[in-house]
Order: sequence, then C-alpha cells, then structure tokens
Amino acid sequence: MIQHLVDGVLVGAIYALGAIGLTMVMHMLRFANFSHAELLSVGAYVALVFDKLFGALAPVLTAKIGPLSMSFALALAVLVSMAVTAATAVLIDKLVFKRIRERGEELSMVFASFGVALIVRNLIGLAFGLGTTLYNSDIAFAMVLSTDPLILVRPDQIFTLSAALVLMVVLHLVLSRTTFGYALRAVAENASLAQVAGVNLRRIVIAVWVIGGALAAAAGVFYALTNQITPMIGRDLLMPVFAATIVGGIGSIYGAALGGFLVGLAANLALVVLPSGYAPSMPFLIILAVLTLRPHGLLGVARA
Amino acid sequence: MTNNRTRRRAGAALALALGAAGIATGAAAQDCTTKVGAVLPTSVDWGRPIAETAQWVVDQVNEAGGVNDCQVEMILRDTQVDPKVGVDAAKALVDLDGVQLLIGAVSSGVSLPILTSVTVPAGVMQMSCCTSSTALTELAKEGKTNGLWFRTFATSGVQAAVGAKVAQDQGWKKVAVFYKNDDWGQDIGKLVAQNLESMGIEVTAQVAINDGQPSYRAEAASALSGQPDAVYMALYPNEGTATAREWLALGGTQNMILANSLKSEEFRENVGMQYLENAWGTDTASPRADSATAFVDAYEARFDSPPNGPGLANSYDATMIALMAMEAAGEDATGAEIAAAVPRVTDPEGTPVTADAEGFAKAAEIFAEGGNVMYQGATGNVRFDEYGDVSAPAVIWKFTEDGIEEVEYLSLEEVNDFMASLQD
Repeated sequence: MIQHLVDGVLVGAIYALGAIGLTMVMHMLRFANFSHAELLSVGAYVALVFDKLFGALAPVLTAKIGPLSMSFALALAVLVSMAVTAATAVLIDKLVFKRIRERGEELSMVFASFGVALIVRNLIGLAFGLGTTLYNSDIAFAMVLSTDPLILVRPDQIFTLSAALVLMVVLHLVLSRTTFGYALRAVAENASLAQVAGVNLRRIVIAVWVIGGALAAAAGVFYALTNQITPMIGRDLLMPVFAATIVGGIGSIYGAALGGFLVGLAANLALVVLPSGYAPSMPFLIILAVLTLRPHGLLGVARA
Repeated sequence: MTNNRTRRRAGAALALALGAAGIATGAAAQDCTTKVGAVLPTSVDWGRPIAETAQWVVDQVNEAGGVNDCQVEMILRDTQVDPKVGVDAAKALVDLDGVQLLIGAVSSGVSLPILTSVTVPAGVMQMSCCTSSTALTELAKEGKTNGLWFRTFATSGVQAAVGAKVAQDQGWKKVAVFYKNDDWGQDIGKLVAQNLESMGIEVTAQVAINDGQPSYRAEAASALSGQPDAVYMALYPNEGTATAREWLALGGTQNMILANSLKSEEFRENVGMQYLENAWGTDTASPRADSATAFVDAYEARFDSPPNGPGLANSYDATMIALMAMEAAGEDATGAEIAAAVPRVTDPEGTPVTADAEGFAKAAEIFAEGGNVMYQGATGNVRFDEYGDVSAPAVIWKFTEDGIEEVEYLSLEEVNDFMASLQD
C-alpha cells in the first residue's frame, strides 16, 4: 500500500510535466492537442541520439552520476533534447497548426493533432525501428527505504521527482515574477485584450510551444530512464497526461501538476482494489469522474 | 440450301450427343469428385504456405487414387484471420458445397466461432492445423463439439506443464505468475497456476499485464509482496522487457520461467544477459522422429524451401489424417462418421503407414480389409485425446551470451506422461 503511494508520486511527476505543457497549449491555443504526448517520444529519442553522440565524442562522459543509471552524457543530452523538442513543437505549429488556426477552425485543429500524432509516431518508428531500446541496459536496483512495511525506491525515480519539481518551480518563478510571465498569463486570460495592451501574440504562441516542448522532452527522458524507450511512448502516455490535464482544470498550470500526481497515485492504487487487468481503465474513470463532478477541473476556472 | 443447312445442323447435334455420351460412359466408373472444404488465411503471408501444404496433401491422395476411388477437390476459402469472414466462408462451404469435412481454421478466435456456429450444428467434421486455446478443450469437455473437432496443434497445456516442471526441477517453492492479458496469456497463465498448485508449489500472485501501459511498476510491486522465489512470465517481448526490468529493479528474484513468446533476442538484449543467468524458457518442438525428417525432405523437394513457417507440419497431418479418416469411413460418409473413423487412422496398435501417397494407398488397402493404421506424420505419431487435442514434444531453453540454447528435449511420451501425472 505505502509502496503504491510512493510509486504513484514518482510516476506522477512525469505525468505532471507532460500535463503542464499540454494544459498551456490547450488553454492558450484553445484546442485539445492529441499530439502533445508524441513530444515526449521525440524528447526521449533525441536524448538517445545525443547521449550516444556525446558518449562517443568524449568517453569520459559515459561515467554514471552517483547511484543513478544516468550518465553525464545523458544529462547533457537532456538539455539538448529539451531545446530540440521545443524547436520541433514550434516547427509543427508553423507547418500545421498555425495554418489551420488562421482559418479559425477549432475542430479541425483537434483532427489535425491526431494526424500529427500518427505521423510523428511512425516517423520515429521508421527511423529507430519499432523495438525497445534503453539508455543503459544496466538495471538500477531499488534501495530499500524500509523493510516493514517494505518500501523500495530507485535512485533514478528520486532524481526524476526532484528534477521535475525543480522544473516546476522554475516555471512558477518565470510565470509569477517576470514581465514575460505576465504577458503569457494575459494572453491566456484574453488574447485580444492582451494584444491591445501591446503583447506580441505571435511571440507568446511560440513561447508556449517552447515551454510545452521542453517540459515534454524532460518528461519523455525521465519516463524512458525509469522505463524504456519505444515509439509508443506517446500513445501509452496520452491518456494519463490528458487525464492529469483535465483533473487539474484546463489552463491551470498548478492544477496540471496536481493532476499529474493524482493520476499517478490513482493508477498505482488501482491495483490494490482492482484486478490488474482493469488497471488501464483508471485514467478514463478519473476523466469521467472529474467531468461529472467538477467539469472545469480541480483548479480550473469555468470559462464562459 | 435450307435442306442442306438443316442436315448439317442435325449432323452436328448428333456428333455432340455421341461425344457427350462417350465422355459420360468413361466417367461413371471412377471420375467422381469428393468435395472437402478448407478455410485458411490465404491472404496473410504466413497463411498461404499452410494452405499450399494442405493442397499438396490432396494432390498426393489423388495420385494414390483418391478417397474411396473418387478424386478429392479441396475448395479453399480465405478467412483473413477474421472470425466474421471465416464463419461466412465456412457457412458457404457447408451449405452450398455440402462438404462433410472442413479443414481449418488458423487461430483460436476464428476456429471457435466456426465450430460452434457452422460445423457442429451441420454435423460436419472440423480439423484444424493451428489452434492452441484450451477454450476448445473446455467446449469438448462440455460435450458441445459432438466429437466433430480435432486439431494437430498442441494446446497451451504443453508449455504450461513444462513451465511448471521447470519450477519443480529447480526446487522453487513460491512462484508469481505474470501473464499477457489476452486469450492466449489468460489461458496459459491459468494453466500454469493450476499445474504449479497441483505440484504443491505456492502461486503467490497472478498478475495480468496489459499492452501499452505507461508503467508496470505497480504490477511488479504487487507481485513482489508474496515474496516469491521464482517468477513465471507469459508475455510478449515489449511489455515483457518492461515488466522484467521493473521486477528486477525492485529486487525481485532472477529465477525466471519464460514462455516461448519471450524466446527473443530483443528480450535478451534489453533485459541484459547478466540478469538472465537463471532464466529458463519453454517451447513446444517438432518431434525428433524419422517421419518428421521425411516430411522436411519431401517438403523441400516439393516447394524448394524448408518448412520453416508456422503450422506447416501440422497442416500436413491435419489434412492427411482427415482424408484417411474419410477413406476409412467409406463412401458418402457424414461428418460424424468421418470423425468416428479418426481413431482407425491414429491407432497405436495399427499398421504403421507413412505420410505420403504411398502411405495413403497402403492405408486404403488396410481399411478395406477392416484393419487399422498408425499414421506416422510430419508431427510424429499423432494421437488425439478424447477432446480432439494432441500433445507435442517440448524443449527447455536458456539464454546464452550469443543466443539461445536448448537445455532439455522432452519427447512426446515424456510430455504425455508428465501431463498425465499432473492430472492425478
């Protein structure tokens, strides 16, 4: 039971990162982006490429960081991956979403996002194969935190959780303490009014994609680090990330973070009560429950 | 002018009539045709050779004079491995072509609805080369197949039994079971658990693993709580890798029993050989019998390639046994009569016959005298149990640094004896 709680929080951190990016895009650009989870795959694979590249260029970097299964090369690769994935998100917007947005068809955006998700997923499959890969095939064994009740935690998970929290705090500071943050929130409130006040809408849209893409890349790498890398990461994480976004309330960044942890906890605790065969239904049940009881989410604001 | 034309026409008609009569008198004696139906996934790349193998058997039987002196015509229809398409195809064969014998289908999901909604209601015998689910055994046990159902493909029961044997041989006392949450996985997972328990080995947990889940940590953690000293995995490589790594990372035992689905390089590389030293795999195998080698040679001579695809030997035996049973049942036999004649083909006390045209001719002679034969086929000496199931030899394998290595071969007799011992 306690083990499930601990695991829930650790997995939840990854969902939270994905959900924060998604909630920003969904709120500012006003559409349900089903391709957001694919950015996690992109991030994981970009990091894989640069991890190998850095490792080959400077073999010193392949040394592992303390008890983690993460190497210095991978740590650098994460940063590169965040940048590349952010650029990918902006590029996808420029190529696809921007054009449709300009014609003002909201539902078309949703369908387009399905298409983008399929294209990205299959391009990754084409380039890297459909098989499973890993950053490092050594298994980072769990540490025993307590024997009674038995609580096991992997160093990688602790790192993932702390890194996710750091990213969230940084984002919080940017949004609450900088002019840019104010502009961002102003656009979210009311795009036209923000423009009247002198906010450059185009720049803000790009910024949203950059933040969303970078956080997705981090989430993708953290997920791949504690699980495995397959082109299906996006497909598998789509539901939990969406559920986290909806639970938190679309547009609420803090809500998305909270939602991520809640979905992680619920998915893990589900096994305590449900037979394991039914566990995948959890995100759907959560979405249903939230939409029924509190349609605008836990921290969301009802929008007219 | 007019007269001439009339005369010419009459002459032509007469000639035609005479010609037709001539053909008719020639045909009446031996050129009759017996139709048999086949529903196989010919539109799938690995399904086509299965159908070609069946047709090859029919050709051999015709070469030996056909069934009851009638040439056999196999009407082949595609199932696309789709239950709906398969049922439609089977229905057409039974209702329109009036076949009494249906060969097929491939995959339990297709064979089962054909059996329950087409062949059993119509009293047609059904013989499948490639169906593994024990759901069909259960159906037979409930008496719902009317003895019309046979298959030459071993059920998951064989692997489940051998998996339990590994645990027993290694002296493991508590085993957790992970199974893929589909028909195959649920079937084999349940069977393994039953077998282990009947051996007095405790099953600490049975955990279903769904495809495409973001994380299997919770599943691994919940299996860990029973503190098993071994783990059984009936999973596919993708989620198998994720589950195994999660399991090992949480400090789970490295004593593993793996189903044949994990006999994959991908699994070995991604989990890491250093953690698989004590992993034992199971699989069914081709028999190491002369008749099986003879089949491989004959197949190569016929198709210019070795029979490497799935179900080819099984397809050969399914078709040959069914046609021999048809021969034994006599002219115009019904499906039930053909099914009842199957034991005459696979009689362990009978005269051995080979799996080729010669063997068929010899079997026909023996049947005519009222004798029985022991068919020695591509999958060895086939023997159906009372539910129409067959057993198969098995192997136990291990991963090595550079591949997969067979550790132990269990002959058909050993597998049968072992499975019988589990029943007691």
